[in-house]
Amino acid sequence: MIQLGTSTRGALSRERDVREAYAAHSGELYGFAVRSLGDSGLAEEAVQETFVRAWRAGERFDPKIGSLRTWLFAILRNVVIDLGRARAVRPGVAEGGVEPAVEPLDEALQAWQMEEAMRRLGEDHRRVLVETYYRGRPYAEVAAELGVPEGTVKSRVYYGLRALRVVLEEMGYED
Amino acid sequence: MKTRNECREWRELLGAYALGHLEGDERAGLEAHLEGCAGCREELAALAPVARMLPHADPARFGPAPQPPPELGQRIAATIAAEKERTQQRQRRRLFGGLAFGGAAAAAVAAVLLLFLFGGGGSPEPAQQVRFANLPEGISIDATLEPHAYGTEIHMYVHGVPSGTLCRVWLRGPRGASYPAGTFRYRWGDDSDAVLSSALDLSRTRAVVVDTGKRTFTAPVSSPVAALDIANEEEPT
Repeated sequence: MIQLGTSTRGALSRERDVREAYAAHSGELYGFAVRSLGDSGLAEEAVQETFVRAWRAGERFDPKIGSLRTWLFAILRNVVIDLGRARAVRPGVAEGGVEPAVEPLDEALQAWQMEEAMRRLGEDHRRVLVETYYRGRPYAEVAAELGVPEGTVKSRVYYGLRALRVVLEEMGYED
Repeated sequence: MKTRNECREWRELLGAYALGHLEGDERAGLEAHLEGCAGCREELAALAPVARMLPHADPARFGPAPQPPPELGQRIAATIAAEKERTQQRQRRRLFGGLAFGGAAAAAVAAVLLLFLFGGGGSPEPAQQVRFANLPEGISIDATLEPHAYGTEIHMYVHGVPSGTLCRVWLRGPRGASYPAGTFRYRWGDDSDAVLSSALDLSRTRAVVVDTGKRTFTAPVSSPVAALDIANEEEPT
């Protein structure tokens, strides 16, 4: 009999598993928390709460359903919503005009994911995408600045998009 | 027939094309090639979703991502270790003082047992751990009740509701009467029990009720005497 993955179910119920999960994913979770909450203190609170909740619910984690990373992000998403609500009802903070998450959370997650993918891209690829797409500069100008033929800028845009796709897939993004 | 090299040349234009950057002859030439080349059409289809995602990102944020402070990991480990310790303490308490768990029948049996053990009236009742069943995912609530001459002391542990939530607690008596036990506020990161008290005797307490504003949670109390009363009166829960 083959029992797929039964030994890894509940993979977060031990403290050691939490430490490993923290080592693997805390950077990304924190990055997204900072981006969506706009405050490093709140982001720390959110990441802490995420791992504590994950540990508490560790028995329910099932790698057959989705990756640990996806699961942790789903928990963080809820934590950020709760934190946003709590902050909204806290007087003083709300009066200060700090509106929590004007950007809808799922959009923030998508944006963060794309930015993280960009960070993981090689410098050459990122550079041409930033110059041609985000800054809207002509290919000839970018080529002259980089000292390469215009065709090379175009092919870098192509290989850059391909690399982005691979990175996004590694990050668990599905279109 | 297209040669591999010809395809490659066109293919390297697909990125600029997917971004809408190709113009004139290059654009017309590529589109003509795409008409006849399923492989390049497939490649374009693979790039299109990535190109559609680009506008979501903010190029000002492509720099190094902020890193969590080094002590955050230790803080989380310490929080979890503390909570684990608390849970184990509860379990020990439950084993020591509980017995009356798992359904009304078991409760009644345990109640009779306890009456035997403590010889009925006059003996001190043990602390009671009550359980809140059917809680929504992510929320945990626990309470321990201790009998006193003045009434009942309640140690209340709530976790998973939004930080800042105002919780109201009361005990319910034999005929459904409510005895307030006070209020407390749940705060993230605070792992201590809220200590509350009510004038209702533990022996007459039928349920613990917590109102978190949005929802009300009730846990039945199966103290020895109460369990017997329930058995006799068949009081609906």
